[in-house]
Amino acid sequence: MIIRILLLVGLAATGWFIFLRRNKLPFHIMTVFLLIGAAAAAIIFPDMTQDAANLVGVGRGTDLVTYLAIVVVMFVLLHYYTKFVELQRQLTEVTRELAILRGEVERTAPAAKSDQA
Amino acid sequence: MDRSETWVVIAAFNEAKVIREVVSEVVRAGWCVVVVDDGSRDDSAAAARVPGAVVLRHRINLGQGAALQTGIDYALRRGARSIVTFDADGQHDANDIPLLIEALADADIALGSRFLGRVEGASQRRMALLRTATAVSNGLSGMKLSDAHCGLRAFRASAAPALRITQDRMAHASELLRKIKTSKLRVVEVPVTIKYTDHSKSKGQGGIQAVRILFDYFFRA
Repeated sequence: MIIRILLLVGLAATGWFIFLRRNKLPFHIMTVFLLIGAAAAAIIFPDMTQDAANLVGVGRGTDLVTYLAIVVVMFVLLHYYTKFVELQRQLTEVTRELAILRGEVERTAPAAKSDQA
Repeated sequence: MDRSETWVVIAAFNEAKVIREVVSEVVRAGWCVVVVDDGSRDDSAAAARVPGAVVLRHRINLGQGAALQTGIDYALRRGARSIVTFDADGQHDANDIPLLIEALADADIALGSRFLGRVEGASQRRMALLRTATAVSNGLSGMKLSDAHCGLRAFRASAAPALRITQDRMAHASELLRKIKTSKLRVVEVPVTIKYTDHSKSKGQGGIQAVRILFDYFFRA
């Protein structure tokens, strides 16, 4: 089926991209490849997800995949939102310190006075 | 209290038109002044450079809460004993500052109240919005104030750590009330006069922004 080829190519591209940008621990990249491997297996042997669904009491394999995907997406969103808020806090602190320092420099060394930020 | 130990913090964002007049008025009254230009796209910083006033610049726009806290931090480093926050848009009256400072004699923080004082030039719609905002803030903070969102306030330097602003944008006003409540600081309301001009009205917060403020209050920091 064409869809399988498309999905597998997409997975392979993702894996290659991650491999090129590997700068994390071997553990990190191993986890990613395990996930990609599991995804590839699910594409090649769709019955696998059906069996897994039956095992945990979900009607269809695709439903199980959807539920898991939603949980993962929520987790990722929360993770990045937390990071975003933290970054913003740090940005505020740095900007504040810069403003105060510049003010102190201008006060103690008036020659440095400048409106160019 | 000595006016050389009281710092007036003015947070300005795109206020080039009126900031000079506002800063001059406060400097003339003998207070120490620090203006924080919050990354304005106009010439607010240059316009605010009145002799005797310190001008700090945020390299990027962070929001009013962040700008106020920058000014407060600076004032503390300069040895302020009391700190006043004063709006940059010309809606406050420098003559009200001494009343706030006097009120600090037996309070840690003095909040200006336009509803105890006087409001000039506000539409009925704006007054209704302000009363609604006050009711919501009182509900959130558990306090009973006549005016929850007046930008004119004074507090002792000793109260500053407990009142530290972490809400960078507009939710800092509600944050302040919550912190007053939990820190058990002694708070007093002081009648002040607010003058709405076309300029200050154009900078004011509308009903839509209220939603953003509530979002910030509940979901940030």
